[in-house]
Amino acid sequence: MGAVKTIARRSFLIGSAAIMGGVAFGTYMAARPIANPLEDGLAEGEAAFNPYVKISSDGITLITPRADKGQGSYSIQAHLIAEELDIDPNSATITPGAPGPAYYNGAVLSEGVPIPAYVETQVAETARAFMAVPAKLFEMQMTGGSSTVPDMFVKLRLAGAVARETLKEAAARQLGVSRSELTTRDGIVVAPDGQELAYTALAAEAAKLEPVVMQEADLRPASEWRILGKPFQRTDIVAKSTGTEVYGIDLQLEGMRYAAICANPGIGGALESYDASAAEGMRGVEKIVEVKAGNAGVAVIATNSWYAFRAVEAIECVWGTPDYPGNSSEHWEALEASIDSEAHFDHRQRNEGDVEVSLASATPFEAEYRAPYLAHAPMEPMNAVVQIGEDRIDIWTGTQIPLFIRNRAAAIAGMDNDAVHVHVLPMGGSFGHRLEMTHIEQAVEIAMAMPGTPVKLTWSREEDMSHDYPRPAALMRGRGVVADGKVDTFDISVCQQGLAGPWMGRLTGLTLGGPDATITTGSWDQPFGIPNYRVTGYRAPDLVPVSSWRSVGASTNGFFHDTFLDELIHEAGADPLEERIRLCIHDESRKVLEAVGELSGWDGADMGEGRGRGVGFCMSFGVPCAEVIEVTQTEAGLRLDKAYVVADVGQALDPVNLEAQLYGGLIFGLAHAINSELTYENYRPAQVNYHAYEGLRLYQTPQIEVKVLENAGRVRGVGEPSLPPAAPALGNAIFAATGQRIREMPFNKFIDFA
Amino acid sequence: MKVLTVLALSLATPALAAEGKVEINPPEAATRDEGLAAFARIYEVASHPRCSNCHVGDDHRPMWSGPSYGKTRPHGMNINGGESRIGAETLLCSTCHVTSGIPNNAPHAAPQVAADWQLAPVEAAWFGKDADHICQQLRDPEQNGGRDMLELAAHLDHDVILHWAWSPGGTREPAPYSLQEHVNDILIWGVAGFPCAADPVEESSND
Amino acid sequence: MKLRVNGQDMQLDVDPEMPLLWALRDELGVTGPKYGCGIAQCGACTVHVDGLAVRSCQMNVGSMEDGADVTTIEGLGQPGALHAVQEAWIEHQVAQCGYCQSGQIMQAANLLDLNDDPDDATIDAVMSANLCRCGTYPRIRAAIKTAAQKLREA
Repeated sequence: MGAVKTIARRSFLIGSAAIMGGVAFGTYMAARPIANPLEDGLAEGEAAFNPYVKISSDGITLITPRADKGQGSYSIQAHLIAEELDIDPNSATITPGAPGPAYYNGAVLSEGVPIPAYVETQVAETARAFMAVPAKLFEMQMTGGSSTVPDMFVKLRLAGAVARETLKEAAARQLGVSRSELTTRDGIVVAPDGQELAYTALAAEAAKLEPVVMQEADLRPASEWRILGKPFQRTDIVAKSTGTEVYGIDLQLEGMRYAAICANPGIGGALESYDASAAEGMRGVEKIVEVKAGNAGVAVIATNSWYAFRAVEAIECVWGTPDYPGNSSEHWEALEASIDSEAHFDHRQRNEGDVEVSLASATPFEAEYRAPYLAHAPMEPMNAVVQIGEDRIDIWTGTQIPLFIRNRAAAIAGMDNDAVHVHVLPMGGSFGHRLEMTHIEQAVEIAMAMPGTPVKLTWSREEDMSHDYPRPAALMRGRGVVADGKVDTFDISVCQQGLAGPWMGRLTGLTLGGPDATITTGSWDQPFGIPNYRVTGYRAPDLVPVSSWRSVGASTNGFFHDTFLDELIHEAGADPLEERIRLCIHDESRKVLEAVGELSGWDGADMGEGRGRGVGFCMSFGVPCAEVIEVTQTEAGLRLDKAYVVADVGQALDPVNLEAQLYGGLIFGLAHAINSELTYENYRPAQVNYHAYEGLRLYQTPQIEVKVLENAGRVRGVGEPSLPPAAPALGNAIFAATGQRIREMPFNKFIDFA
Repeated sequence: MKVLTVLALSLATPALAAEGKVEINPPEAATRDEGLAAFARIYEVASHPRCSNCHVGDDHRPMWSGPSYGKTRPHGMNINGGESRIGAETLLCSTCHVTSGIPNNAPHAAPQVAADWQLAPVEAAWFGKDADHICQQLRDPEQNGGRDMLELAAHLDHDVILHWAWSPGGTREPAPYSLQEHVNDILIWGVAGFPCAADPVEESSND
Repeated sequence: MKLRVNGQDMQLDVDPEMPLLWALRDELGVTGPKYGCGIAQCGACTVHVDGLAVRSCQMNVGSMEDGADVTTIEGLGQPGALHAVQEAWIEHQVAQCGYCQSGQIMQAANLLDLNDDPDDATIDAVMSANLCRCGTYPRIRAAIKTAAQKLREA
């Protein structure tokens, strides 16, 4: 594949941004180094060796710019720096620091390259590396796409190594010895004679030196690691077990006021008029503010969040109609009208053999699949504290997109970008919700009504769920042919609305044309070789605005592709696991399938009367992941007994948290496969709180075993890849136990669970 | 309508009495047909989700219903009232359904009254039962807490949990009729001699 | 009105309908108990009132007894002086985002107050009203067992 040309020709969504960006800014801009943001505002005697390490006589500060929404990113970033810096990460101050262009994410866009992740040719790697260019140009300081570890693996170790060597250089000059004679451990430089110099005592001297230049090749080999790859305590675990972690919603500032809002539940619809007279005299209410930014609505500023919530409920609003159909049935009609329609063709990135000929020569097996809209519904609802000063704005919030927020807040308030200071706080979950910023826009406008006073806007759960930009609903139609006990032809069409382009437009104002890879991610890029194999994406018209939801396209495509494959394997009369292994064309993926078979003691899908097991597989974010789930049909309903997860992550850096991410992704996948959907009635979701959007509770959670493989060459992120195989593994198990094939999520619409 | 609450109350904190909510004036006379008609209305109340969802059997699992749930289903969160009927074996009902005289009207919030929230006694299982079953059970002192007609009516006057069924708050549908009408029906049914539709009709029912 | 919060007498002057959660968080600055749903569906706001676990988003302060004893996660144990449940939570590294964990820990502590050796079914029954979206349940199960053992041996 002539990769770069191919990208340009296809003008692939994110790829097209790269091309446009390259032209607009020229290669000079892309190559230009970005200044170290820590150099501004350094105190006397403080040394900042690079954007990630700052040392003063008081202590060591590690900058961990990828936001922590629970996935342990602060911890792993601190561990990466500490490994080379030779400190105990728990002895340092860990902070995301002030957002800045230096912290662009060079890995997050590489998923947009139209080459499957299992292809690791030089051309493919070049194309992926190329994706760092637009990320840098567009100042994409962004957390997402399981990209933190791949992006930071080298960057942060280099940062630690540069700081360490520069400190050693300072010590060498002080002691009159050469740097190579010195060693380091636990935050101190050790001289040949055993004399110890603390990093903190060397900071002032080191600050005067040019940082020592280090290359990737200078980094320590894994065999010498003390922290990485070892069971290590998460840096935030004590705070999170004692109620002392301060999330955005917990921030308290002197004189702070509390705000709540009721916005048009039809996203993008206007506020026609309102009557707040009933709210005006209510206890605790200080101000009522009409809000135009974000989603239009009316906010109340009060002395307590609850007073604000109560007052907001008393406001009568007349809402305008948003730009999309009001009811779910109309949304499905739009998808039905678009799928397999020439006019809505978006892309076809997998087309092997001759599908048309094969389908015409046999009676194909056909099936239709559906996946619903889903809310992110993190436990901590959206919130932000904003203080409008005379010449600055301060924003405290948990976010994945601090620079987009900065720019938008500046625009709303009519200030320069540099006047906006975003303070990123830990997040009580996100799952993609905090890739949006409607609540920030609202919070800025609300705070502008009370200049000088910090105002905390908290969305009620109902507000949060009805103003979430959901995972898109998707429709799939599959056609297949089996021959001689094998899967011969696999042809699926997937239809949903565009995701990445509208998101980018909403957040940055940039218009991106071209196809939208998210429609088929998780289907087109699977490591299987089937004689006739085709995956086609169709793009429905824009419906309710949608966004990235944990594992993005693979969250629906993982279900579609793998379940339909299971159906064809059943039609062929083959064993589900054996046939997947036979079809697999990627060594690491095959080993993952074999390992899950071994771990689960696979001896066929049938486990006796009313019992069964299913296997699910999906490669997403470069991680092949296979899961086996065992179920039993009981009088009380279907029970999930056991689940097994195997993933190849390339290199396990934080084994304790890695395991947690893998079973967490599985549970998140099951939660929505079984129990959750958003349906639209009168432009708003019918499910606005957890009673109707249950997720998974402890009693429905199976016993889970996790196994990690490290055969793949490159280090990978694991926040998402264990999610996509969960739904197909469960659905395939249900089929094995009951003979019932469920082709639509959530499954509890079709079968009762115990 | 919850005649056997007293049993459970002996296990839990006594309910706050709410005397005088209704007038108890039995009619002077009522025919069997009038009694059966009254019981039909009583059954509408007893089988209404506001009542039957907590009058569940010996699986001790309260039920949820309403437009949000599609179909009637067991209370989410794996809730089980246990033999204590107050959740004492696992999770107390009062963990969420707090005891408070301030009504909780937020949609889908845990209902609360000025008494400890609990399931009706297991003897008074109505969920999924037909009219005749409930009719037999309600008139049988062995199964209704040893109550005669006036005591049944008085009980309805006292129990604040069942008052909640007619003012459930949130977006919940109240039990049919009103508390007063329901008490009146109990009295009509009682004066008529607690007839059930399945009873053999006696040759001379008058005199 | 008066409440005794984590051993300290606190004075409150708020609307009697205000839920305890919001009195704690926005009036008293006790932010360990979290707002997640406001309708007793998630359990993130769980505290102990007079020794029993309660969803503080449901308990109006006006219906509490004057001087009622409220314990939040901050009062259960602190870094350096941990409760056995918190120790177990740290050993097992239960938390991911951690937002629900105050409530999980308070519910688990109350479970172990009442039952020093809960079996799996009891844990499933008691802990299923506390929602976790990250999926920390496997370690919650394990940590409760560890904490129970610690408490029995203490």
